[in-house]
Amino acid sequence: MRLLEFQAKRLLAEKGISVPKGVLITSPEDLEKVSFPTVLKAQVPVGGRGKAGAIKRVEQAQEALPVLDEMLASTVKGYPVQALMAEEPVEGCTELYVAYLIDKQVNIPLLMVSSVGGVDIEEVARRTPERIIKKYIDPAVGVQDYAIRSLAKTLEIKDVRAFAELILKICTIFQEKDATMIEINPLALTPSGLIALDAKILLDDKASYRHRKLFSQLKDEQKKLDRTAKTKAVELAEERQINYVPLGGNIGMIADGAGTGMLTLDMIHDAGGKPANFCEMGGMANAEIMQRTIEVVLADERLKVLVISLIGGLTRMDEMAEGIMQYLKDNDQSVPIVIRMCGTKADVGLPMLRGMGLDAYEDLATTVRTAVEQARNL
Amino acid sequence: MAILIDENTRVLVQGITGNVGSFQTGIMQDYGTNTVAGVTPGKGGTEIFGIPVYDLVEEAVRERQADAAISFVPAQFAKDAAMEVIGSGIPLLVLTTEGIPDQDVLTILRYAALKGTTVLGPDTPGLISIGKCKLGVHPHTMFMKGPVGIVSKSGSLSYEVGRLLTESGIGQSTVVGIGGGPIWGLSQESVLRMFEEDPETEAIVLLGEVGGRLEHDAAHFISHYMKKPVIALIVGRMAPEGVQMGHAGAIIEGEEGTAASKIAALKKAGAIIARSSLNIPELIKKLEV
Repeated sequence: MRLLEFQAKRLLAEKGISVPKGVLITSPEDLEKVSFPTVLKAQVPVGGRGKAGAIKRVEQAQEALPVLDEMLASTVKGYPVQALMAEEPVEGCTELYVAYLIDKQVNIPLLMVSSVGGVDIEEVARRTPERIIKKYIDPAVGVQDYAIRSLAKTLEIKDVRAFAELILKICTIFQEKDATMIEINPLALTPSGLIALDAKILLDDKASYRHRKLFSQLKDEQKKLDRTAKTKAVELAEERQINYVPLGGNIGMIADGAGTGMLTLDMIHDAGGKPANFCEMGGMANAEIMQRTIEVVLADERLKVLVISLIGGLTRMDEMAEGIMQYLKDNDQSVPIVIRMCGTKADVGLPMLRGMGLDAYEDLATTVRTAVEQARNL
Repeated sequence: MAILIDENTRVLVQGITGNVGSFQTGIMQDYGTNTVAGVTPGKGGTEIFGIPVYDLVEEAVRERQADAAISFVPAQFAKDAAMEVIGSGIPLLVLTTEGIPDQDVLTILRYAALKGTTVLGPDTPGLISIGKCKLGVHPHTMFMKGPVGIVSKSGSLSYEVGRLLTESGIGQSTVVGIGGGPIWGLSQESVLRMFEEDPETEAIVLLGEVGGRLEHDAAHFISHYMKKPVIALIVGRMAPEGVQMGHAGAIIEGEEGTAASKIAALKKAGAIIARSSLNIPELIKKLEV
């Protein structure tokens, strides 16, 4: 889960990391709480906001309203802006960069710092990677003082203690909240200390059971501010927690494995068809999940054909066939369904489907070819 | 021995009394896997399919000399179970569990590295040494004995390719699923290294997908160290950036995670690229292995 800036900064502030004084704004009335000059920042879950015009400085109160109106009516990289943070500007500082994340090549957390933080950090990483200093933090060893002293020296930070405290706090938040990434960019080095001017935090959804209260609070806040246009299928999939990715075409797809699901899409594409979505049920799917997943994918009204791609490893084909039959019992069939079925209990499942007059094949190539032809002829 | 396991491997099943654990244990045993012990805390002293169940892994190791473990323990308890296997000195752990928090996986892998335990997974179907030992959930009727090694992130894709090869009369040596990520214990590269040294394997099928950069590491290994032919299929050419395609690790974050860049790297490394699973049997026949 990617946090919005105000949520990320709240987590930092709770641990005692300094952030600029700021308020959340969702309507013109909220401007009363703002002191000027201020920096207005759109709360959208994307990077590069500065360059996208989603961060604007306002000098005086009377200038604020038109800027606010304009920003609240704007869309940044596909996200309609629903809230802004108004923050006290931090003047005359050096901008540093700090990130803590999991290096998946060596499976060890990695601390990255740079003395050239700010909007061009990606450019720095590409052109002068030596200006980003990396230190692995082995979980078997923890953060050692000498490592922080070494980083502080490279960054020319005089107040080593304050820097050490900040790093330790970041590592603590990372551990305690099951983060997979914490990035502070820029981190302002001011005469009065280190201040996190922006923050990006990713939390591990797989660990949400350890932080139920925090996750539900963050999700509720995000839901309230989310006005992204969503199709019926996407909404239904979110509600039912089904992995559904819209792709814009007209051939729907459901698979019982991620790998065969992606393969099926590639084959549909190569056969000249246009996939409408990716959708994977997972190895624990049963008849009920099959039925509920068909309901999600068929909620897309542009579909001409639905391909169900099943290769029973953990899933049982008799149960999958039952789910498909149950769907057809409860609903009028809106589009042709072409099914690939093999593996565990397919000897039971296939006759069930064929008995219903459905197109069902043992091999994927025939299934894909049939579906693409049907989509073309409809 | 083939790679990692064979008919002499003495298998311990964690979570043997659970739904999935007991169902899969029955199938593994029918296949001929030498399942010597099960562990479920609190169920010690009982039996399932004639297999003794213990409370603790150390008891199973002491009394039944287990030397490989497969875990069907739910995500919330998976870390403790894995640490117990590693702490007991078992050299191979197959972690089938999906949804283990990343930081738990990091801790498991760090401890495993310190103790010398090889971890396959998490979120893996496991592996099957054809005709010798099944340490996982592969539908074994889709496979037959032969000279082709398969290493795959996805379980389902390895079943699909295994089935096509078997139908074409091409058998397999060992089929290894490394898991759906986003963090992997054993990598594609490590499995390639094992196949390269395995006298029972003559050619390798590498099945990859979008997300992460393991396939780039594999490409590097192929170009520098491999003599045996590698046929590679990368799925997810239709995947948009930044969204999860089923597996937790199948998410494109940056250029290296795309199917196109992985295909290009593998091609440059000398791997033979298959456009889809259907081409793999003919590509192998051309090799005349």
